[in-house]
Amino acid sequence: MKLIVEKVRKNFGERTILQDVDLTIHENEFICILGHSGCGKSTLLNMVAGYIFPDEGEIKINGEKIQGPSRQRGMVFQDHALFPWCTVLENVAFGPEVQGMPKKQARETAREFLGLVGLEAYGAHYPAELSGGMKQRVGIARALASHPDILLMDEPFGALDILTRDMMQRELRRLYEKLHTTILFVTHSISEAVYLADRVVVMKHGVVAEVFEIGIQHPRSFDSPGFADMMARIERLLMEDEEEVIV
Amino acid sequence: MNEIQTTLSKTGEAAAPALQLNTVRKRKGTGLQSTMGMIKNVIPYVLFFVVWELFSQLNGRIQMFNPLFLPAPSLLVHDGWELAQTGIITDSLLASSMRIFFGFACGATVAVLLAVLMSKFSMLERWMSPFLTLVSPIPSLALLPLFIIWFGIGEFPKVLLIAWTTFVPVLVNTVEGFKSVPSTLIRSALSLGASQRQVFTRIMIPSAIPNLLIGAQISLGLSFSALIVSEMMGADSGLGYLIVDARNYFKVTNMFVAIILIGIEYSLFALLLKLLERKVLAWRRGGIGEAVEKVR
Repeated sequence: MKLIVEKVRKNFGERTILQDVDLTIHENEFICILGHSGCGKSTLLNMVAGYIFPDEGEIKINGEKIQGPSRQRGMVFQDHALFPWCTVLENVAFGPEVQGMPKKQARETAREFLGLVGLEAYGAHYPAELSGGMKQRVGIARALASHPDILLMDEPFGALDILTRDMMQRELRRLYEKLHTTILFVTHSISEAVYLADRVVVMKHGVVAEVFEIGIQHPRSFDSPGFADMMARIERLLMEDEEEVIV
Repeated sequence: MNEIQTTLSKTGEAAAPALQLNTVRKRKGTGLQSTMGMIKNVIPYVLFFVVWELFSQLNGRIQMFNPLFLPAPSLLVHDGWELAQTGIITDSLLASSMRIFFGFACGATVAVLLAVLMSKFSMLERWMSPFLTLVSPIPSLALLPLFIIWFGIGEFPKVLLIAWTTFVPVLVNTVEGFKSVPSTLIRSALSLGASQRQVFTRIMIPSAIPNLLIGAQISLGLSFSALIVSEMMGADSGLGYLIVDARNYFKVTNMFVAIILIGIEYSLFALLLKLLERKVLAWRRGGIGEAVEKVR
């Protein structure tokens, strides 16, 4: 799997959301896109997912231009987007089922992925009965059950409380180390990006400002050597013109 | 109870049966509680009829107004029973139920099908929306005389009127339901590999069902009005006809009987719809009942 974003530009009306964005993502990489709200990071992710298309430039996966949403590219949303009328198990089985797997087998697959996120006991519940963190686990299990080449995550932990968020970050890292799915993760939390990613792509005003290689050994924590330093560097970059505005 | 206890202690098997009795007593206690609750719920209804009965009896004595105008419930039961023996009540109920059932079913089905087409083809929606804006403010009852001129006084205009009354609210609400499907649900289904058709059958339709049911509930009330009015104009059967017929012969008790039957029939249909809703929307949680727990 190789994802290439090439000279991508996107306008919404008069406003330029993205311009000249280049990015290459390799197999098994864990990439975070980091930036303020409105910097175009979600727009970029939505283009990779195939929900919207670039005005200029191209996005290619395995050499093929992206033509629309596909099961190759699984998506996890901030609002989890679980189907409220389906039970947890039916939600996770949705992907395999619509791809033509027999119902029984799809449920078996779903059970397996629910087990992977530690929710095998909640298969018969409806999403409304779960806590925020549990819903997001189901969202991740559902996306993984379709065996995507790349997992796209749009601020998946943004709506969770800080303790649940920490737990979910550890959980995601554990899943990644087990499955080695390629992950493209959008966030506005610097610590989240530094904790999770191999590479952090910092975006500002619709352009890629800088790409940081996070070479810190896993499992990481705030005390890991270089962690605080990396966070400070990224913060400085993000805050640069904020200060200019004040001065 | 006491008797049982004494007989049991006489046989000398005190311990075990005493335990048994305890459980029996407990079960009886909870049973009693639920009966008490039921009585509490029924009291307002009973009180309504008791006050009515007393008032009518009193009026019969002191003649505040002609007692024929407000017959007592006891008289209604008596006359209603007599009327039932002639078979008129069964016939009327059957005729009205058939009309409302077919009218409602046809109207709702056509409305849902059209809503589906409108959400699939934006062209159709563009042309249908102005048309709906034109016709939806017109109370359907206003069309009845026209329908009678066009289609005569048979079953067809009545069923058509009920269907039309059902059609508009169901259509408007279902279209609204299709429009308000959260985009992330559609997006995630597409990213999980669903085809356009699967998105429609598995996401759009279940998403729109709550709105569809709201439309159906609004329609049911309106279509009952349509039923009764259409039976009052040019019909020879049904509950509405029963009222007009009773008026012509000044049988006020029969009018009351028919009115009460209409109330009962509407309640039954509304209950059926409610049960359907509870079954279809079992996944729904929340509402005021769950928002705040009451202090015991």
